[in-house]
Amino acid sequence: MTLTELYCLLPIVITGCAALFVLLCGPLLLSSSLTAIGVTASAAAGIWAAFTAPAPIQCIPGLAFTPLAQLLIPLFSFAAALTLLLSHGYNERRILKGEEYPATVLFALFAMCVLPCATNMLILFLALESVSFAFYILVSMDLNRAESGEAGLKYLLMGAVAAAFTAFGFALIFTGSGTLALSAALARPENRAIISAGWGVLILGMAFKLSLVPAHLWTPDVYQGAPSPVAAFLSTSSKVAAAALLLILLGHFPPMAELRAPLAALSVLSMVLGNLAALRQTNIKRMLAYSSVAHMGYLALALLTGSRDGYAAVLLYGAIYTAMNLAAFGAISSLSFEEEREQITDFTGIGFTAPVRGGVLALAMISLAGIPPTAGFIGKFFIFYSALKGGLIALAIVGILSAAASAYFYLRVVAQLYMHRSEAPAPKPVGFAEGLALCAASACILIIGVYPGPLLEMVETALR
Amino acid sequence: MTSLIPILSLLIFLPLVGALLVFALRQSASAARWLALAFGAAEFVLACAPLAIDRQGTAQVGVPTGFFLYQDHGWIDRFGIRFTLGMDGISLVMVILTAFITIVAIIASWKVKERQGLYLSLLLALQGAVQGLFLSLDLFLFYLFWEAMLIPMLFLIGVWGTGRPVYSTIKFFLYTFVGSLLMLLAIIALYLMHGAQTGSYTFALPALMHTTVPYQLGLWLFGAFLLSFAIKFPLFPLHTWQPDAYCDAPVAGTLMLASLLSKTAAYGLIRIAYPLFPEASRALTPLVYVVAVLGICYFAWVAFAQRDMKRMLAYSSVSHMGFVALGIAAWSPVAVSGALMQMVNHAITTGALFVMVGMLDERAESRDLSDFGGVWGKVPVLAFFFLIFNMASAGVPGLNNFVSELIVLVGVFKVAPAAALGAFLGSVLTLIYTVRLVQEVLFGKESKPTVLAEVSLREGSVLVLLAVVVVYLGVHPGPVLDLFKAPLELLLNK
Repeated sequence: MTLTELYCLLPIVITGCAALFVLLCGPLLLSSSLTAIGVTASAAAGIWAAFTAPAPIQCIPGLAFTPLAQLLIPLFSFAAALTLLLSHGYNERRILKGEEYPATVLFALFAMCVLPCATNMLILFLALESVSFAFYILVSMDLNRAESGEAGLKYLLMGAVAAAFTAFGFALIFTGSGTLALSAALARPENRAIISAGWGVLILGMAFKLSLVPAHLWTPDVYQGAPSPVAAFLSTSSKVAAAALLLILLGHFPPMAELRAPLAALSVLSMVLGNLAALRQTNIKRMLAYSSVAHMGYLALALLTGSRDGYAAVLLYGAIYTAMNLAAFGAISSLSFEEEREQITDFTGIGFTAPVRGGVLALAMISLAGIPPTAGFIGKFFIFYSALKGGLIALAIVGILSAAASAYFYLRVVAQLYMHRSEAPAPKPVGFAEGLALCAASACILIIGVYPGPLLEMVETALR
Repeated sequence: MTSLIPILSLLIFLPLVGALLVFALRQSASAARWLALAFGAAEFVLACAPLAIDRQGTAQVGVPTGFFLYQDHGWIDRFGIRFTLGMDGISLVMVILTAFITIVAIIASWKVKERQGLYLSLLLALQGAVQGLFLSLDLFLFYLFWEAMLIPMLFLIGVWGTGRPVYSTIKFFLYTFVGSLLMLLAIIALYLMHGAQTGSYTFALPALMHTTVPYQLGLWLFGAFLLSFAIKFPLFPLHTWQPDAYCDAPVAGTLMLASLLSKTAAYGLIRIAYPLFPEASRALTPLVYVVAVLGICYFAWVAFAQRDMKRMLAYSSVSHMGFVALGIAAWSPVAVSGALMQMVNHAITTGALFVMVGMLDERAESRDLSDFGGVWGKVPVLAFFFLIFNMASAGVPGLNNFVSELIVLVGVFKVAPAAALGAFLGSVLTLIYTVRLVQEVLFGKESKPTVLAEVSLREGSVLVLLAVVVVYLGVHPGPVLDLFKAPLELLLNK
């Protein structure tokens, strides 16, 4: 192992070691120091990855520090660090003690760091399933709430089926290409049928991970049942990881004509049904779940273009969506005390009684609706730009109209926060860690919204 | 001409900074008020500053012709999006108008009871966005301001509104948003087409004007622009958000909506939609004529049926906007300069009337026509101003609206005599409801006696300001019309 290789592996090493350390030494340490260790390790891994040049790694087969990893590891680390910061206060209020929580978050991050580095289908699959495995635990972590266990079980059962589909898809592609190594894999013309069958099955599995209609049914229940910080992490990083897996595969197996129709159907159904279903929700976490279905529909739209612009739009939207949903779920989690604050009517007047958290939630809603000058607008612009450039005019029009309808349910939350006379009693002041996380997420939303240049450049580099 | 001070950026960012500072000072209402007023005044001075510079200067390299102030900075290189601002005669007048109306709005909000600092801060933010819209020469930037405008307005109506504010504000938002998003697609399509034709991907408005758009596609793209602008305008039959939003908004909110936001739509048509798609716009002109004339007559007729004064004015406002649409549709120098003049006059007159209804509402806590009567005898000064602004709105010669409506009619008569005739009949209907309003409120018999207070110094100063402009533009509109001449020549000869 050369020094360069060690440098490239360091983010993975840091997160893995931090996870083990927290698990082993957890009982001896205070919960706040565990959070601090987790946040530091995530930040270190992210910053290190951002400033390390991409290079191959010879000593471990199936891994390389790719340009994609250089973008995604910082993104995942950012999400993990914010999740840990948000969980600190939340877990204390909910009496969720123990080192297993930060350790599991770090394990999830570890697997996420491996995923974009994979150059081998097996590693890719293992990384993806390790991410899901960590989330099965995290979702059902809150033993005091029955919904949490229920959500965990639902997620596990559906996830197992999806994992089977994914594995079968990989197996078929392997049969068609004859090797697990992505760089050596060739989609030979005589094997076209079997590879496209593999793709079809794989897309079914991925549709579950991305919660695209009709594989979205788990999403609202899991988001509702999971502890809010976990929902934040789940709705952002796990989706981005799944999208990254598709991007990696698409880079080696060029998109096939057979894929277009099913992917187009998934995209349209998700955009339309996701937004329509969200219109009728009274529970904000369920509403955000359906909204995430719709947003993944936009992602699928960009994937469908099969162009570099489309893939860049996927990555950019993934990054922006991470910031937006962390802010939204973060605000909800920091406003939840003895009980989860999840009905939209529970937020009446919060914009004035808790200005920071209410403001962050409103900002997240405005950004999710895609209104400038927030990051959500830039993301939506890029998605529809790539769709029009790729010639998907009808899909773009359907998508943009459903996006217009979505403004209604996002604004309903904003209206609840600011525009109703009766006010809910003022919530307790926000803790330092949660405040920090909320500020970081909203700063990202605003900065990307007015100055997206640097992020666009990073996305371009990641696809090189 | 590029000046040493970046006036154009300042025009946008000064109100935004003001908004932040006022927000920071929101705990002390009086400090917030005075600070907001100071920023409003500073913005007005800044807006008038270009009047003093040489506007005939020779064209410089890289500056589109006709723009005497120009700024261009790189912004999002990936898409060739630039922060490009330019000012010609049309934008200059709109910028001054925006600064003036905002001052009126700030003074009219002097007595807002709840969260006044936040209210004024949103007003200033809205002003910044509107100024940006009038100045931007990059289509992406224009769109950004076009949508960003909605956020402060959403809160102004929703938080401080009366009646059913949440319903009205969300309705307003959704209507506008649907149109805007389709316009966004059209903008992207135009950008891609221009890029494919010339190889340079840019959102710069002057460059995009040289795009060759196939006729059929042009109709769709122009349709998207027209839809978006027609909703904000609002043109018949896309107006249903408007009476609710105007009625339920607080005074300054209605003022900004009626006087400025509707003008942004007209400005968009003149600056962007018509020049970008000359063929398509010509093809759809009959449609615009029909909705404009229908609007003038129908809304005047509906206004006549209203008992709520604010709702009546809302319909009256959109009826008068029909003249703007009519002038744009004719697309001749006379008609468009009439339309632009009507934009200014409508902003002043309708704004003044909404302010006055706000004053009456504040005093009598009612906007119902039947609750008023004999105002002339009780508060003569207030009644005098009410009469002046109503006369202006009805189109009495010597006051501002007469001039612009006449120019529009003359301009339109040359190209579409039937439309001009229809609009003329509409203005007779205007006379009917205005006379009824004045008659009932000022001279009618009171159903229940209410005590009204005479105008205060603060209110008086606003009314005098507005009345001076009404009379001045009525007798001497020349200087403003001169400002429109050069840019219109350039726009119409495209």
